[in-house]
Amino acid sequence: METQFLLAKAKDKELAKRGECGGAISALFKYLLDQGLVDGVLNLRQGVDIYDGIPTLVEDSEDLMETCGSLHCAPTMFGDLISNYLSDMRLAVSVKPCDAMAIRELEKRHQINEDNLFKIGLNCGGVVMPLIAQKMIDIFYEVDPDDVVKEEIDKGKFIIKLKDGSHKSVEIDELEDQGFGRRINCQRCELKVPRNADLAGGNWGAEPGWTFIEVLTDKGKKLVKDAKKSGYIEVKIPSEKAIGMREKIENVMIKLAHKFQDKYLEENYPDTENWDEYWNRCIKCYACRDACALCFCKECDLEKDFYNDENEVVPDPLTFQGIRMSHACFSCVNCGQCEDVCPMEIPLAVIFHKMQKRYRDKTGFIAGVSEELPPLYSPEKS
Amino acid sequence: MMKVAHSICPSCSVGCGVNLIIKDNEAVGTYPYKRHPVNEGKTCRKGRECFKIMTENRLKEPLIKEDGLKLSNWEDALDTVASQIKSYPSHEIGILVSGNYTNQEYETLKKFADALGIRNIGCHTGSVPSSNLETVALDDVEKSEFILIIGDVIKKYPLLGRRVILAQENGAEILAVDEPDKTLTGINSQEYIQVESASSIIDEVDDIILEKLSPQSTVLISNLESEDDFEKIVKFFEQSDAKIIPVFQDCNSRGAVNILPVLSSDDMKGMLERVKLLYILGDDPAPHMMESIKNLDFIISQGYLINKTTSISDVVLPGSCWAEKTGSFTNTTGETQEISKIVDAPGAALDDQIIIKKIAEKIGLDL
Ligand SMILES: Cc1cc2nc3c(=O)[nH]c(=O)nc-3n(C[C@H](O)[C@H](O)[C@H](O)COP(=O)(O)OP(=O)(O)OC[C@H]3O[C@@H](n4cnc5c(N)ncnc54)[C@H](O)[C@@H]3O)c2cc1C
Ligand code: SF4
Ligand code: SF4
Ligand code: SF4
Ligand code: SF4
Repeated sequence: METQFLLAKAKDKELAKRGECGGAISALFKYLLDQGLVDGVLNLRQGVDIYDGIPTLVEDSEDLMETCGSLHCAPTMFGDLISNYLSDMRLAVSVKPCDAMAIRELEKRHQINEDNLFKIGLNCGGVVMPLIAQKMIDIFYEVDPDDVVKEEIDKGKFIIKLKDGSHKSVEIDELEDQGFGRRINCQRCELKVPRNADLAGGNWGAEPGWTFIEVLTDKGKKLVKDAKKSGYIEVKIPSEKAIGMREKIENVMIKLAHKFQDKYLEENYPDTENWDEYWNRCIKCYACRDACALCFCKECDLEKDFYNDENEVVPDPLTFQGIRMSHACFSCVNCGQCEDVCPMEIPLAVIFHKMQKRYRDKTGFIAGVSEELPPLYSPEKS
Repeated sequence: MMKVAHSICPSCSVGCGVNLIIKDNEAVGTYPYKRHPVNEGKTCRKGRECFKIMTENRLKEPLIKEDGLKLSNWEDALDTVASQIKSYPSHEIGILVSGNYTNQEYETLKKFADALGIRNIGCHTGSVPSSNLETVALDDVEKSEFILIIGDVIKKYPLLGRRVILAQENGAEILAVDEPDKTLTGINSQEYIQVESASSIIDEVDDIILEKLSPQSTVLISNLESEDDFEKIVKFFEQSDAKIIPVFQDCNSRGAVNILPVLSSDDMKGMLERVKLLYILGDDPAPHMMESIKNLDFIISQGYLINKTTSISDVVLPGSCWAEKTGSFTNTTGETQEISKIVDAPGAALDDQIIIKKIAEKIGLDL
């Protein structure tokens, strides 16, 4: 399908107001629910504050009011939530590129049925861990994190809006130089527009009050067309200049990601001695495996008796991490979840990302994007 | 219907946040709770699998013993409990509660005991003694310059252990003391001192170590077998400027000792031998104190789990587990965190505070 660029906004005034940009994404969800085309929408709701993103299954379109807007301090993952708990439903889901990549890998392994899913993409410049966000707002902005009502990433700045309506911003570069800012895997992430979804919404290239949408599949095209016809969204064509500008920003972000890949996967990559120290900490809690969408086997090799070394003080990294690596690394989508959940602060995603990158350079297989399975994938696992 | 709901892990005293995944009023999994200040979405395996507590080995109906435990109903079970309690003088009644109840439940239980004049009441905390403990922030552990660890904290209490790892990454010096040849905490410390027994730990603390126990240092104390050792060690380190964190076992042991007396193993044994009727909530002394238990006339067990003690009880009252009730837990560093009811208790099981109040009502007490 030829890609199509649009500007869209919700016709519903409340959705347009509450939406991050034009509320178009929420309006598309509303259309799908109202028409009975899906049983539910999986997206995020703000919990106690902007640092608290809670995955939410919306079944009544009225409730979409509670899920409007972007949460940039919510490093969530929807892939395994769908495959583990919602595979019996027809769903629409808001996906960051990493969500979309994990879902693609799960579809290929028959853990998610593509026909039951509308993947509504969001461009993504990265997310910040909630507690890191609170700390950096305290240190760099000298603001009480509880006073922040909205955050946004724009033009290389992390911008916060306070209760009193004022704004404050700090350059992301400055934050990240000091170990704050986006998660490190996000800094390395080069899929900024989820072209593996049905459509991708974003603010790049958009006018105020509108969502810029890149339509990517026939399913996405039909959805936009029908939602427009039924009066859920208003659509117009963006200017060439806006399209060009969006492309320019995307390329700058990809270039930056490559710079961070060099930094974290080459220059600062832990050496053997560091890895020995890291593996010494491992408590064999399986959090990394459980958080990884690619590790879905019901009977995990890691728990088979012959690898069982319960009585050892630390698991042998060659058997423990080695097995997981041999099963998952070719398809690693660099979502960072394994690293986020490791209680022992082991920088796991760098290994997996580095291996997938190497593999990708050799075979052209791009995890989460390529349509086929990785060439070395062993069928025993599916 | 699926929802993701915030909760606190009930499996140890660290007090990690967990998100429960609820499908059709049943907990089916957990999801990282990254905004939680204790653990930022990281948990150990017990935390990730805590949802299973709600379904495994659950007590769902009241039981009464008539040559073997038989299915009963609340009316009969409460009548039996009330008439039995009324038939004993207060000094022959004992109340034993585990460290898994909410602060509010401890308060209610205390009122109940006070109203009946019951003095034999307490919580068995493993070996941690009661003392006037100060609240220490987990962030302070991470900022410590020196950490002395007794016991295998990294392995047994991983999300407290994580703060030690972070402190080390920030340049802190870690010294571990324990009995085995090798421990996970030991191999992750700059220095590991193996001791023969807990009572010799203090002897190992020389002037060089004492000097390091500044206000920027922390002492973590866990896994001691006897209360005496624990007490001695806590007292010893209390003389230094270091922050002290005794690591409790259960999710609300620290809350329990703020409200109720602490029972050492000896105290507990003494109580079992002193009283005739025991009202036991959540605890399971049968496997290790069978001899003393034989001395009891009547055992009332309340809780959510089928265990050895419930199987030898005269009346069994099915209570709720943490995700089925509202209240608060106080973690090992002294932080009190709210929990709220997320799912309904199964079968005829009831909220534990309601059970206590119903018993009181039957006895004719006004709590
Ligand atoms: C973390 C993040 C980073 C982003 N970075 C960029 C960027 O760099 N450039 C760009 O052009 N656009 C970016 N976007 C997209 C942009 O912010 C808007 O979401 C998009 O333009 C749609 O606007 P809308 O008004 O139509 O959406 P809305 O109608 O407000 O709907 C947004 C939907 O996204 C869901 N959602 C919110 N946060 C998340 C999350 N963390 N993960 C998954 N779903 C979520 C909401 O629940 C809601 O359903 C980002 C979005 C997110 C969440
Ligand atoms: S990994 Fe990529 S897509 Fe996922 S949150 Fe980070 S930047 Fe966004
Ligand atoms: S290995 Fe880690 S970063 Fe890679 S896909 Fe799995 S969870 Fe994500
Ligand atoms: S999450 Fe970390 S500690 Fe747990 S098994 Fe994986 S590497 Fe080991
Ligand atoms: S460390 Fe304790 S509180 Fe935290 S997840 Fe593990 S068992 Fe639960």
